[in-house]
Amino acid sequence: METLKNLWTSIGTGYDLSNSIFSPDGRNFQVEYASKAVENAGTSVGIRCKDGIVLATEKIITSKLLAPGKNKRIQTIDRHVGVVYSGLIPDGRHFVNRGRDEAKSFKSLYKEPIGVPGLIDRLGYYVQAYTCYNSVRPFGINAIIGGVDDDGAHLYMVEPSGTYWGYYGTATGKGRQTAKSELEKLDLPNITAKDAVKEAARIIYLAHEDNKDKDFELEVTWVSKSETGGVHEFVPHDLLQEAIKYAEEEGEEGESSDDEMQD
Amino acid sequence: MVSVPNCRDSNTPSFYALEAIKQGSAAVGITSKTHVVLVALKRNAEELGSYQKKIIKVDNHMGIALAGLAPDARVLSNFLRQQAMNSKMVFNRPLNLGKAVYSIADKAQDNTQSAGGRPYGVGLLVAGVDENGAHLFEFQPSGSVLEYVGAAIGARSQAARTYLERKYEDFADASKEQLIEDALTALRDTLSQDKELNAQNTTVAVVGKGENFTIYDDEDVQQWLDRLDTLSNNRNRNEPEDEEQEQEQDPEQPAEPAPEPSEQSDRMDTDE
Amino acid sequence: MNHDPFQWGKPLDSVYGPYNAKIAHATNKRTTNIKDVSDFPTMHTQQPMITGTSVISVRYQDGVVLAADNMGAYGSLMKLDDVERIVKVGKDTIVGISGDISDMQHLHRILDDLVVEDRYDMESDHLKANHVHEYLTRVLYNRRTKMDPLWNACIVAGFDEQGEVFLKYVDLLGVTYTSPALATGFGAHLAIPLLRKKADTDEDVKNLTKEDAVQLVKDCMKVLFYRDARSLDKYTLCVVEKSTKQIEIQKDVKCEDMKWGFAKDISGYGLPQL
Repeated sequence: METLKNLWTSIGTGYDLSNSIFSPDGRNFQVEYASKAVENAGTSVGIRCKDGIVLATEKIITSKLLAPGKNKRIQTIDRHVGVVYSGLIPDGRHFVNRGRDEAKSFKSLYKEPIGVPGLIDRLGYYVQAYTCYNSVRPFGINAIIGGVDDDGAHLYMVEPSGTYWGYYGTATGKGRQTAKSELEKLDLPNITAKDAVKEAARIIYLAHEDNKDKDFELEVTWVSKSETGGVHEFVPHDLLQEAIKYAEEEGEEGESSDDEMQD
Repeated sequence: MVSVPNCRDSNTPSFYALEAIKQGSAAVGITSKTHVVLVALKRNAEELGSYQKKIIKVDNHMGIALAGLAPDARVLSNFLRQQAMNSKMVFNRPLNLGKAVYSIADKAQDNTQSAGGRPYGVGLLVAGVDENGAHLFEFQPSGSVLEYVGAAIGARSQAARTYLERKYEDFADASKEQLIEDALTALRDTLSQDKELNAQNTTVAVVGKGENFTIYDDEDVQQWLDRLDTLSNNRNRNEPEDEEQEQEQDPEQPAEPAPEPSEQSDRMDTDE
Repeated sequence: MNHDPFQWGKPLDSVYGPYNAKIAHATNKRTTNIKDVSDFPTMHTQQPMITGTSVISVRYQDGVVLAADNMGAYGSLMKLDDVERIVKVGKDTIVGISGDISDMQHLHRILDDLVVEDRYDMESDHLKANHVHEYLTRVLYNRRTKMDPLWNACIVAGFDEQGEVFLKYVDLLGVTYTSPALATGFGAHLAIPLLRKKADTDEDVKNLTKEDAVQLVKDCMKVLFYRDARSLDKYTLCVVEKSTKQIEIQKDVKCEDMKWGFAKDISGYGLPQL
């Protein structure tokens, strides 16, 4: 919050107009603006479970005229790597397209799928480059990237600055605080992929409390050695329904226990 | 400077390309399980001038309706046509609608992130059928693309959306004729009091499974307008709340007092 | 005698002229420098190197049976005996490829890229056998028009978008055709007549059962092993089945019930005359 306050006081000083200009206290405001784009977006979470990755997102339904079940938001970079992002959706597509190009060029050179850390490394460079020049603006997304390679499952989150960290579980978007504190309660390294799907659903439903006035659709994908053979896929319809049921039940329980506490 | 799509708060520069769409006349699209319908209101710059084309065929299975800068739409539709031809050439299959619309969305996104070009100043409704059925997409210059069951873009399009939001549950199983009726009714809701849809200013296009994208103009469109008139002539705007909403949505749009065509537009670079 | 050890074993400059190092850098890319082009003509594939022999296939009442052996021949040498020449492309397609093995591997790569791109939306498999065939045709024809062909002949089998059984041939010239029985390479001469005995017309196809079709193809593979000196008795056999919508792939199938007793009586062809 402190950063934000500083941001506000700095608006209009001229240091916020362009990339490649540092403010006197050494900040790049364009990057911070980009991060702000993420803060109010729908919540996305990524979980690294026992032998795979689960990605989930809260897809805010801005109009009831939107075609239900379409407008998929989680994307695939290569067979074994998935991405979910919060922020400016077109920027996210740009990011994913770059990831696909990197994965393709790696495979054409080395005839094997790109390792997830290697891919993240390349994408980090790419995102960073968009903070360096005044002819461009940074990516307005936080992207959670997960995949399974020869070394097992990997989960990362790339920020608009080009920074990335590896995670057992992470969240971004409006409900990230709620989501992160829920993730911390789980035994993530040992959770099965199926349980991770359910927990991801529950967390998205819980995080939606921060955005309650709007409708949403839940989207969940996974990559797992045992469940999908290392391929990034949408979770099967039955499992998704089961997860939604679980999420709703848990949500109700949470509410009732809150009531009790108030009593 | 680089234009930033999407207003994050009131202090960030707004994305003016989106405003160009609102300058253009309205277009409405509706989809059922089997058909997609596009209808649009054409404008002419002067009485002796022709009406601006609002719907462009891309391939037998798809086409677009536009609102905003028509030349930009021509560039985009040309690109789509190339994609469609390429799909036929390389795979001997019609271009997938999602692929098509995202191919222009990704082009549009480029223009929002790097300097040296302006964003496209046009919104599109992309309609068509492919192996997955009937689709209707709305394309925006920000690079945003969303699939709808019913959508409206252009001047006073909120009025049309209001109508669509009331009726959308019926669209999935509606017949082609019903879709056209609903689309025209929605389009009529965008008109100011003193204007009417007629054979000159209305375009209708339909595409369906095994049914080529067909545009109806001038005398051909009369059959559909006739249907509209047999329905009911009272516009939905005689419900007072709608009128208010319309006004609210479009504060800059002056209530056009006279239907003189010369008054409608003097801008060559919009689709007016 | 030239006492420089680096010159030993090399052609004598006095006899052959100095070695032109540019030859080693001959490019197969078109250079803009016209002088270079006239010095060294652009080199393109003019013959296959390591080759795979026939791919054979036949339609039956419920699909297609397709087979190709596992040999990679370098001239008459059996250089490789574990080459997999039938590749699955997506869910609904198999492609059997004969001809140059390195070009085949190149095709594998571009077909794999095609599948990855097709799955980007994670929705369903849009890529059907007829699309793969059309794509391969464009690739092969495009290379042929550049006078730099991919030295292969392919048979594409699988399902089209209507779920119907698909079977079609395409080769290095971009020529395509279909028929109830298709074969590439030596199989076009040796196997086609045998296949046509059972599957000449669409009417025959309707009466041909899966068991008979598999046996027919196995018999053809055996005849090919007897008669085609670049073939192997170990092969891959695929069955495309419409009723189950499955493509079954059997690897390491062996030719059975062969009789080689006659071999000792063969004479000529480099063997001592009796």
